Amino acid sequence: MQSIADIVLTSETRLTDVYRTQIGDYPKFFKMDLLCRVGFVASELLLQQEGVERFVPRDNRAVVLAGRSGCIHNDRAYEATIQPDNYFPSPSLFVYTLPNIVTGEIAIRNKYLGETMYYALQEEEQLLPLIEATLSDKISSVLGGWIEAIDDEHFIAKLHIWIR
Amino acid sequence: MDSLKEQLKAQIIEALNLEEMQPSDIQNDQPLFGEGLGLDSIDALELIVLLDKQYGIKLSNPKEGKAIFQSIDSMAEYIAAHRTK
Repeated sequence: MQSIADIVLTSETRLTDVYRTQIGDYPKFFKMDLLCRVGFVASELLLQQEGVERFVPRDNRAVVLAGRSGCIHNDRAYEATIQPDNYFPSPSLFVYTLPNIVTGEIAIRNKYLGETMYYALQEEEQLLPLIEATLSDKISSVLGGWIEAIDDEHFIAKLHIWIR
Repeated sequence: MDSLKEQLKAQIIEALNLEEMQPSDIQNDQPLFGEGLGLDSIDALELIVLLDKQYGIKLSNPKEGKAIFQSIDSMAEYIAAHRTK
């Protein structure tokens, strides 16, 4: 297994600025939670680097991400809307209370029809065997890597395009 | 009524994270769903929460929503007649 493209996105990045200057034309970005915004921006920059034709349906690419903290930033925001003295559960926050949503957002954007998976792992090293196991006769490449999004000042995404 | 409509536009932009939009971009009679602002079903639920949180209005019949959320005009009219705060 080898990586043919990679990117590291850290919290020094201003996500909205990068979206506006290097991506754009995808208003759904503004509705995403932090984990999805980090994954979306990182994947966009990675795929721009890969340089192949985009937005055409392909069933041979999977999206496999992992992290230690899931969607904790959004979970906390949602929890704040369900306090006994301020009980107005937010539907738009609720829909992001699963960390695997980030893999779906990337797959939908790029029309990827292969598997999408998010693993909650303690260590980044645990991910590689899982990506390797995803590659098969049908899945020729995996957009995969480690993603953490604690808050606006603490996030990182280390993504690759993996092939056999 | 005009100030209510302007307040409502600002609250909708904030509640629905329409970060690229200003209140002046929303016309009072513009459809909020479909070809208008392009809001989706989750946005509709968020508008129901907004009515409850900001104006104390609980929609007991969800079917009412289609008429109420037609436009800023229709929302403001309903809020003015039913608000409890």
